Amino acid sequence: MVVRALLVCVLAAAVVVAAAGARPLATPGVTANEIKIGSSVPLSGEAAIAGSVARGIDAYFNYVNAKGGVFGRKIKFTYLDDGYDPGRAVNNTIRLVQQEGVFAMFSSLGTSNNLAVRKLLNDAKVPQLFVSAGATTFGRDYKKYPWTIGYIPPYSEEGAIYGRYVVQKIKKPKIAVLYQNDDYGRDLYSGLQLGLGKKRSAIVAKVAYDPTSTDVQPQVAQLKASKANVFMIFAFGKFSLQAFNAVSRLGWKPQIFVNDVSSASALMEIVPQSAANGSISIVFGKDPAAPIWRKDKGIRLFQSILKQYGGNDIGARDLKNGFYTAGMATAYTLVDALKKAGRNLTREGIMRAATHLNEKGNPFVLPGIVVRTTPNSRFPITQVKLQRWSKKAWRPFGKLISINPR
Amino acid sequence: MRLKLGLEVLGLLVLALLIAVMPRLVDNFTAYEMATVGMYFIALLGLSILTGYSGQISLGHGAFMAIGGYTTAILSVDHGVRDLWTIPIAGLVAGVAGLIVGVPALRLSGLYLALITFGIAVSFRQIPIKFDHFFGGTTGKVLGLLKTPFGLSATPEDWIYYLTWGIAFVLLVVAWLFVRGKPGRTLKAIRDSEIAAASSGISIARYKMIAFGMSAFYAGVAGALYAIARAYMNPDVFPIILSVYLVAALALGGIDSFVGLIVGATIIYVLINRADDVTGWINHLPGVSLDSKRPGMPDVIFGAVLILVLITLRTGVGGALRRAFGPLTTRLYSRS
Repeated sequence: MVVRALLVCVLAAAVVVAAAGARPLATPGVTANEIKIGSSVPLSGEAAIAGSVARGIDAYFNYVNAKGGVFGRKIKFTYLDDGYDPGRAVNNTIRLVQQEGVFAMFSSLGTSNNLAVRKLLNDAKVPQLFVSAGATTFGRDYKKYPWTIGYIPPYSEEGAIYGRYVVQKIKKPKIAVLYQNDDYGRDLYSGLQLGLGKKRSAIVAKVAYDPTSTDVQPQVAQLKASKANVFMIFAFGKFSLQAFNAVSRLGWKPQIFVNDVSSASALMEIVPQSAANGSISIVFGKDPAAPIWRKDKGIRLFQSILKQYGGNDIGARDLKNGFYTAGMATAYTLVDALKKAGRNLTREGIMRAATHLNEKGNPFVLPGIVVRTTPNSRFPITQVKLQRWSKKAWRPFGKLISINPR
Repeated sequence: MRLKLGLEVLGLLVLALLIAVMPRLVDNFTAYEMATVGMYFIALLGLSILTGYSGQISLGHGAFMAIGGYTTAILSVDHGVRDLWTIPIAGLVAGVAGLIVGVPALRLSGLYLALITFGIAVSFRQIPIKFDHFFGGTTGKVLGLLKTPFGLSATPEDWIYYLTWGIAFVLLVVAWLFVRGKPGRTLKAIRDSEIAAASSGISIARYKMIAFGMSAFYAGVAGALYAIARAYMNPDVFPIILSVYLVAALALGGIDSFVGLIVGATIIYVLINRADDVTGWINHLPGVSLDSKRPGMPDVIFGAVLILVLITLRTGVGGALRRAFGPLTTRLYSRS
C-alpha cells in the first residue's frame, strides 16, 4: 500500500516536472497582462517602521494598475518580511525568484540585506533594481554586478555635504560626532571627514554606539565634555531621539546636524524643541509633514493615492509619513523605467532603461531634481537640498546641491 | 525492551526513507526551505541533549551557531577551503567554545546558567564588529554561491537539502546512541537530582561539560550549513532572538523527543519566514482579518501562535505523540 502511494506521488511529481519543461521560453515574471515584482523589507523587529516604504510602493502600483497598468500589464508586487536579517532576505529573494517567479527584485531595504543577495541575483541575471540602501558599492561596482543599481544618494556623500557646509558657514568649528557602529554610521563619518578636507582636525570627539544598545545618553554626555559647538547625529530611529533628549537635558547648545534617515518629521516633532530647533539635515524627497508642500500637487497626489489604494487601515498619521512618499518616489521611477523598456519587456531591456534615465517630473521628489543615470553612473538621485528645523517643521533652504559619487 | 529498540530502529529507517524521497515530491525552493528546517533540527538536537537530558538551559545557542557560521565563512572566503570541509571544523570550533562555556555551567544551574548563556548570545555580536578585519564587521562576508559539487546532477537546493538531512540523520543516530545508553541515564540522573547523582559516584562536572560541548558542536554544524546555504555571513544573520526561538522550538517539539523536534523546527521556520501564509490561514477563521504587511504584525502573529500552541500542547509535539501512541506502545512493550 505504502509503496503504491509512493509510486503515485513520484509519478505525479514526474508529470509536474514534464509539464513545467514543456512551457515556451519567455521572460520570467512577464505575461501579456502581468509583471511580477518582488521585494524584501523589514516588517518585524526594530526596523519594522521602514517597511512602510514597501506599502507606499504597493499603493502606487495599485494606482497605476487602476489606470490600466504599463502597456496593459498590471504590476503584481510581492514584498516579504525579513526582520532586517540578511539570512532571511536571502531566503525571501530565492523564494521570490524561484517560487513566485518575479521579473525583478526592487527596492529591497538595507545595505547588508542587499549585499547578501547581490551575487545570487547577478548570477541568475535577475535585475536588482533601485536598492533602498546608501552604500556606494551598489552604484559603483556595476562592472562586476551589471544587474544591480542603487537609488538614494550614498551616505558618504551626505556626510561630505555636512562637512562642506561646516567649513563654509561655521566659524571656528569644534565638531562632536555620534555615529552608529556599522557601515551605515561609518560611511557618514568618513564622508564628513572628506567634506571637511583640511579642516578634518575640527573633529574634537567621536563616539560610536552599537545598534543593539539601549541608550546613547552616556555617549552624548561624553561628547558634550569635549566642548564642541557642532554636533553630528548619525544615528537611526530611537537613538536619534535619545540624542536630542540628552542634548536638551544636558543644557548643551551646539549646532546639530542630523542625517536624513533619522530625521523623520514624526520623530523631530516629539523631541525637545529647544534642542531640535535650528537642526540641519538634507532632503531630496518631498516630506508630506512639511507645511510648504501642503498645497503641492505631488503631495496631494500622494495623499489621494495612499487613501484610495494604501489599504483600509490608513489613517491621518500615515498621510504625513515620509516613508510612504519615499516608496512612491521609487515606484514612480520604476514605472518610468518599465515604460522606457517598451512593450517587449525583457530583463536586459529594463536594465538598459534603468541605466538611461532622464526623469524630470517625479512628483514625489523636490522640484528641479532630475533622476538621471547612465550605464556608468548608476546613482539615480544626485541632487539634494539642505533643510532646517524650525517651528515644528522642516524648511528647505538654499539651492539644489549636486553630488558626484565615486 | 528489545521490541522498543526494534520500533525505534524502524522509525529511523522510515525517517531515512522519507528524507530520501522528499525532494522528488516538492519544488526546488521547498527543498531549500526543508534544508533550513533541517539546520534548525540539528541545532535543536544538540539543545535537546543539553536541556532535555542534562537539564541545563541555554539561551545562547544562537551564538554557537554564529561561531559555526563564521568559521565556515572565514575558512571558505579567506582561506579557500571548500565549504563542505569547513562543516566539521565549524562544529569543532563551536564545540570547544561550548566546553569553555561549560566551565561556569559546573557551578551554576537553572536560571543563573540561562542568564549567563543569554549574556553570551547578546555579547557575541560585538566580537565580529570589534575585530572587523578578521570577521568582516557589519558588511559581512559574501561566500561563494551554493553549488552542487563533484559533478553531481542535483540542483543546488536539492544538494543542500540532502547534505543537511544526511548530516542531521547521522547526528540523530549519534544523539540517540548517546542518550539511550549509560551517558543518557547519567545525564537524566543529574537533571533529576544533582545531589543524588553525585552520591551515586557520577562525575557531574565531566558530564555537564560533555553535554555542553556536544550540544555546541551540533549548533556549530547547523550554523555552518546555514552560512553555506545563505552564502552570506554578518552579525545579523544569527540575531540574538534566534537563541530564544531555539528554546521555544525545543518546547514546541517536546524537550526530550527527537522526532518532535522536527515538528518544532518546522513550526519555528514557518513562523519566522512564512508569516504571510500563517496570516492567510488565520484569516480563514470567521471574523478575523489581519494584514500581514502591516509593520509589526508578523511579531504579533508569531507571539500569539507560539502561546496558543504551547497552551494546547503543554508537553510539546513529542509529548502529544507519546500520549497518543502511549496505550499502543505500552501494551506492545509489556508483551515482550
